[in-house]
Amino acid sequence: MGDLTHKPELNQQKGKIGNLDSSKNPFDYGQREYGTVPLDTKRLPFQWVSEIAYKNVHRIVSRGYDTTEVMEQGYGVVDMLFIDYQARIPLIEEEQMLNYVMILALEDGLSMPAVMSRMVAKSKTFLTQAAGASILAFGHAFGAYSAFGNRLETYMKKAEDEGLPLEDTAELLVKENWDDEALGVSSLMLMDPAAKRMIARAQKLGVAGKYIDFAQKIVAAAQNLSEEPVDLDMLGATGATMLDLGFSPEATWAILAVTRAFAAGAHYIEEIERDEYCRTGQTLTPKDFYDGPDDRPVPPLRDRNNVAQSGICQTLDEWAAAREERKKIIGSGHSIVEEIEDPSKKSGIKKVGKL
Amino acid sequence: MDREPLIRRKTAISYKTEEKTVMRGYDLSELAEEGYSFCDALFVMYQNRIPTEKEEKMLKYEMGVFMEHSMSPSAVAAIGVSAGRPNLPCAVAAAVTTFGGVHGPGAAHGYMLDKYLERAKTEGRTVDEMAKTLVDEYMDAGRPVMGMGQPQHTDSDPRAEPIHLKQEELGLEGVYLEFQRALEKHFHARRKKEGRSHVGVNVVGSGNTALMEIGFSPNAAWCLGSVCRGFSCAAHALFNMKKGRAWGASRNEPMVQMIDLSMIKYVGPDDRIVPTQEERQAHARKEKEKGEYKKWVI
Repeated sequence: MGDLTHKPELNQQKGKIGNLDSSKNPFDYGQREYGTVPLDTKRLPFQWVSEIAYKNVHRIVSRGYDTTEVMEQGYGVVDMLFIDYQARIPLIEEEQMLNYVMILALEDGLSMPAVMSRMVAKSKTFLTQAAGASILAFGHAFGAYSAFGNRLETYMKKAEDEGLPLEDTAELLVKENWDDEALGVSSLMLMDPAAKRMIARAQKLGVAGKYIDFAQKIVAAAQNLSEEPVDLDMLGATGATMLDLGFSPEATWAILAVTRAFAAGAHYIEEIERDEYCRTGQTLTPKDFYDGPDDRPVPPLRDRNNVAQSGICQTLDEWAAAREERKKIIGSGHSIVEEIEDPSKKSGIKKVGKL
Repeated sequence: MDREPLIRRKTAISYKTEEKTVMRGYDLSELAEEGYSFCDALFVMYQNRIPTEKEEKMLKYEMGVFMEHSMSPSAVAAIGVSAGRPNLPCAVAAAVTTFGGVHGPGAAHGYMLDKYLERAKTEGRTVDEMAKTLVDEYMDAGRPVMGMGQPQHTDSDPRAEPIHLKQEELGLEGVYLEFQRALEKHFHARRKKEGRSHVGVNVVGSGNTALMEIGFSPNAAWCLGSVCRGFSCAAHALFNMKKGRAWGASRNEPMVQMIDLSMIKYVGPDDRIVPTQEERQAHARKEKEKGEYKKWVI
């Protein structure tokens, strides 16, 4: 209901508190009201708005399809992904291709999602906590489907807008993003045919389209520019195939992260079955691992003013010099630069680097 | 490029070399090339076996019907997290981690079934007798019987009975379905006898029964359900990120937003004066002695 009230007596009793009566404040703190804001009756009341799905007591409906009816008609969970993300029933070939992609994305040995799941498992948690943690492994280097897909879309749009041949655009993309972990071309799959097989399967099923075509042009450009052998990797093959199946870069990112989490559950289980839980304070870090400052005595608190160093920089020159010094402190964060943008439309850290 | 393992572990699940990724002995790429489905791969992952066609169909059905559930705690968590506009995986992870002791408690249901089936075996009692024992023991203790009731689908979960029927249609009835059906029978009978309303089986009660029947452990079955829900929750988060307003509190939207100030109702201690540091010790001692604060402790 809300009970906003002015309480002058209470404010008066409180009197001056810290800097709250400073004239620099753009307000008079002593005049501020207490209580909660009444319900807003001028606007529509809050509701969970969704284009994806609704339910009532008797039905669950996704994109217009009753999900129980979808299953009774012989569709399955992979079809549901097309319904939820694209509001359509997929072609049989598309459903087959997505099954193929998801099998390849399911397991990856002791890679980061499995490791994260296992580490959480060691703390004696629910399985869901570990499976959820595994999803957090997906970023813009490992499992970088969003970064990869958005880059493809950006450069393909550039080619279209500027009338550039796709081959030239692919070369530009490679030159401008050579060191990026989400290029989709690397030395990782030189001996493993899985990535190329995926593309061949997409072509055989007739679902390969402009993204796979462009990805192959990127591979060709990278091979021309690289002194070392490189080829399409799993990120590139999977990312391009998912885009040709109609999934957005972000949808691809989510679907494949979740797909991997099914296996993270098995890693959680195995970790518990084979190993022990880990207690607070149990894990040691050998001194051999340590390359920080030498052991030193903690100065007595009374000497604090003698040994303390101010971090305040009064001038730009001081700031620049201090910054250089701070970069040397590994773990301080001063040697990393990121441009974090709102990932609402296109997700990604714009630039991640080490100074 | 450093390709050394991040951790060293003996594992029976998979290995990965420069040439291939092998899960339970099967080259993943070969598995996909041969035309097996993702659901088949989940049997290989968790049970080290290729399932029968009917078992694969059952899993496909169960996961398909469970994946989307519109607004439930998992979707709300995903949307809530997405309001701050972090990377999408954070919202999806949050959604999956909502599955606990109440929301989709698949493992709890599975362990309950296993525990009572084991008792039936050791105590030499029938499945039906043990199902009645379970219902009586849970209800006598005031504990919720796992797999029964759903706060939104109040008279029957639209997914639940169809899953039972699909399991029967596929000829996959075994000891778990027999036990679950008996549990439901005794549960309904007891509630009726006590003059209480009908509470139907929910999707965990039927879906988890099916998953246990086709060989998944309680935790594996829980993983299949809770992680599968992550697919749809990601879609809900993505919809909100792409088409909704960040933060969820804008006053410029025609509809009051999720965390508009007017959505807050406060029922805690009255507004009060912060003691000065000089008053602090005496105030804190008095407050502690008085003990009134204890009613607010959580």
